[in-house]
Amino acid sequence: MDQVNVVNKDVNIVAYYFHNKGRRLRCFPKSMEWAGRRVNFTETGMVHPTRKGQRMLHVFDMTDGNADYRLEFDAQQLSWTLVSIADISESQDAPRFAHTVTA
Amino acid sequence: MPHASRIQLPPNPAEPQVMHIDLNSCFATVEQQARPLLRGRPVGITNRNTEYTCVVAASYEAKAQGVKVGMNFHDARLLAPDIVLVESDPPKYHHVYQILVDIMKSYSPNVTMKSIDEGIIDFSGTGLVNKRPLADIGYEIKARLKEEVGSWMRCNIGIAPNRFLAKTAAGLHKPDGLDIITARNLQATFSELKLTDLTGIAERNQARLNAAGIYTPLQFLDAPSDILRRRVFKSICGDDWYKRLRGWEVDDIEFGLKTVGRQFVLDEMRPSRELVISRLAYLCETTAMKLRYKGICARGVFVYVRYANGDYWYDRKMFKSSFYTNTEVLRRALLLFNNRPLEAYEREIGITCYGLEPSNINQVSLLEEVNKEAWLTEAMDTINGQFGEFTITFATSLSAKDTVKQKIPFGTTRYFELLCNRA
Repeated sequence: MDQVNVVNKDVNIVAYYFHNKGRRLRCFPKSMEWAGRRVNFTETGMVHPTRKGQRMLHVFDMTDGNADYRLEFDAQQLSWTLVSIADISESQDAPRFAHTVTA
Repeated sequence: MPHASRIQLPPNPAEPQVMHIDLNSCFATVEQQARPLLRGRPVGITNRNTEYTCVVAASYEAKAQGVKVGMNFHDARLLAPDIVLVESDPPKYHHVYQILVDIMKSYSPNVTMKSIDEGIIDFSGTGLVNKRPLADIGYEIKARLKEEVGSWMRCNIGIAPNRFLAKTAAGLHKPDGLDIITARNLQATFSELKLTDLTGIAERNQARLNAAGIYTPLQFLDAPSDILRRRVFKSICGDDWYKRLRGWEVDDIEFGLKTVGRQFVLDEMRPSRELVISRLAYLCETTAMKLRYKGICARGVFVYVRYANGDYWYDRKMFKSSFYTNTEVLRRALLLFNNRPLEAYEREIGITCYGLEPSNINQVSLLEEVNKEAWLTEAMDTINGQFGEFTITFATSLSAKDTVKQKIPFGTTRYFELLCNRA
């Protein structure tokens, strides 16, 4: 089973914005301060929108090469939330199921 | 002497105008796209994070190790010890689905989504706009999918004169294939297939065909229509198969909505009565939401229980008045559900609403209490729409919210928007 650590904490993100062929700017979260260290993202897996009531959230699935991070950007509040960290290297042995960790 | 009603048709000589697009291993591929560390590894998608779950989609790497869709967690783990099982994430798949639909609709207005991960473009009548060969358009669709979703996304494309052959073509070279079936290569294509490779032919139909001396798709293709109708399928389906195999269209049919419902396998082996009622209340609530989402109301309710000892009980009733509110669905379901035998523990419960008709939500009733309930439902839907589903909900079903998760339905995309709002 996938090892997903649910975090759900606000985080500070340094993001770059790029022109995107006449469409809205393309966002690339470059780095994040988390648990006393800087995480430098190397690749965006996928960006997709999701809704919570009338609020529009943009979900960024990012990786730094060691773990996968799920970030949410609230387009109204302009805030970033680290939703979860998934580390497959931990998933081979127990524990198999997701559990919650706090900062 | 040939039978008078025997149909004799040649293979459809028309140029192929139907394109079938299939995102094979869709959920697993999307997860691998979203999480680069999963790429190249066996991945299985499950609907719940429990040991009793099953794999609803497997990546190509997992399939290569023998993992199949529907296999339970332990079997999948035995076959592929390094498999990573990921819980499904509907909004992510919905995003890819939307992109795929947008791409498909940019080529023809005649687009039919057969399920969340496959759709059909009918290019008939678009000759003046699409002057390129369909194969070129197919390769362009593949490139656009990679550009708009991500580099890991792949799809199989089949092009043929009808939907059945287009789907068959899409399955010939997985993953990332593009194949064309025409009247010219029909026999050559069928000569490389088994009967069960044909969509709609599984073990039972294979046995029927075998009983009539048909063992290969080529023999199936050569069989006369009256043999298929009278001896094999014993119905008009035989004629449909005769035409389908030759590339004539028989599957361009839209099926109307007949029932709306939900089922749930209980999360405890020995559930208390309160727990069962809580789960039923939740199922009723989400069924009523589906009714309102489709703008319909129902007159009939069907409930069933499957017990731990294997017994099955059901009851149904057609009411005089129609209904669409959460409370009414629950009240009517409980009228039936409370009569169930209590000799064993419930294992699975379900509710289905039938007798569907256009919604009477705008019809003001002579009865004040009916109006109050309609207004209350409208107000509740407005608040839930503003702040998120289940902001206001039954107290009874409160404990079910975190347990009964709405998952991806196979075969239909009717409630996709509703499902994603709720996820």
